[in-house]
Amino acid sequence: MISLHLTRWLLGYARFSVVGGSHERFLNNCARSGIYLWDITGGKDGGACVAVQSYRALRPCARRANAKLKVRERHGFPFATKGIRKRRGILAGAVLFMVIVQLLSLHVWSIEVAGNSSIPTEQIEAELVRLGVTPGTLKSKVQPQMLQQKLMLEFPQIGWLSVNTRGCSAQVQLQEKVDRPLIVGSQGETVCNIKAARTGQIVSMNVFTGTAQVSKGDAVVEGQLLISCVVEDKLGYMSLRHAAGKIIAETSRSLTTEVDLKRAEVNPTGKTLTRRCLYLFGARVPLTFAGKPEGEYRAEGVHTDLKLMNAVLPLGFYEEKWTEEKSRQITLTKDQAIAEAKRLMEQKKKEELKDAKILSVSEDTQFTDSRLIYAIKVKCEENIAQESEILIK
Amino acid sequence: MEKKINIRKLTSTMQMPTHMEINGNQEVIVDGCSGVLEYDTDVVRIKTGKLIVRFAGRGLVIKCLTADSLVVTGYLTGIEFCV
Repeated sequence: MISLHLTRWLLGYARFSVVGGSHERFLNNCARSGIYLWDITGGKDGGACVAVQSYRALRPCARRANAKLKVRERHGFPFATKGIRKRRGILAGAVLFMVIVQLLSLHVWSIEVAGNSSIPTEQIEAELVRLGVTPGTLKSKVQPQMLQQKLMLEFPQIGWLSVNTRGCSAQVQLQEKVDRPLIVGSQGETVCNIKAARTGQIVSMNVFTGTAQVSKGDAVVEGQLLISCVVEDKLGYMSLRHAAGKIIAETSRSLTTEVDLKRAEVNPTGKTLTRRCLYLFGARVPLTFAGKPEGEYRAEGVHTDLKLMNAVLPLGFYEEKWTEEKSRQITLTKDQAIAEAKRLMEQKKKEELKDAKILSVSEDTQFTDSRLIYAIKVKCEENIAQESEILIK
Repeated sequence: MEKKINIRKLTSTMQMPTHMEINGNQEVIVDGCSGVLEYDTDVVRIKTGKLIVRFAGRGLVIKCLTADSLVVTGYLTGIEFCV
């Protein structure tokens, strides 16, 4: 129904009234002449609708019925554009617009990457640029199969990847691989021993699977076998298992940090410069005519892509903020250096001794000409059990 | 391929002068109509072969008209066949 109305509107139609004569005879004449009428109203001022090109053919029918026709309304594209049809500039503009739209629709104007979590989008986009897919590339030159293969080779952590061109957008959809978990079971189980990760004295032992090779109170060295994977049952049969256990040992650890007493401190002077530019169909249009500032500046840039209904448009803004900085040499006092070293040491302890229970700490501070060496010796209790896989075929 | 059915040919062989389809009391589609004899908002009288069919009702409108068919819409109250 919509298509019928649209066709009628595009072709143009007129609503007319039949004045005088016989209305019925007029309708029959029209029907016999093959003129298609619709919305025929009856009564004294009855009329109908007719396509513009058929209106002239109505006159002989009306004459034969002794009736006259009066146009009441005109509708449709030919009448809507009547006023502007003589203005060639508008017509040329419309044609030019259509040509430009057609030409622009042959290119890729935006690249969308979806489904990645550990691989940065920038890396994938950079690889696509290297493979020749940039905003402005002809759609015919985008080869999805080749791109899929090359991207999969470049990023081995991708499990599945698909490249599609939808409209003027190249969509890269991918799924990253999920690492296969180790299967520990009676059939395909991995066989491993438990070895000592550090040198120390065993405080407590908790063996889940395997045969203990050491006992509580023993001193062990790094790499020593603690729990064997070989298990003997009551009948004397031997079997290989995935050894597991928790071996808490008292260990001694040495941690060192170094702090330079002389260092360069960078401070912003407060002078900033903002440069903006517009990215239109892959072309960079500068909006600020200031060049790159000379001197010590730190630059930060933000790229914003415009989106319409979740589709990235070939239009974006880039804003660069340049902040002037001044560096000066400063010399730390002993107290400042020790405080800095302690702060760094705390971070190191959190990283390296996060699961350990610290029993005692002894500090040692040593100053050289230009640096402070801060060392600590830590006695702690920690789990030293470390799995060591045995490959058996 | 579906075969096209010529209504006129079919009705003539079956000795049926016309094919009429009535949708409720709102619409009548007539195939094989040979002319409009009377047309008003209350009455539409058409010639179908040897028969004259009279539709009575309120706000009757001929929705479309071709050489051998027409569609009448409106609120139909009666249909009369005059031989």
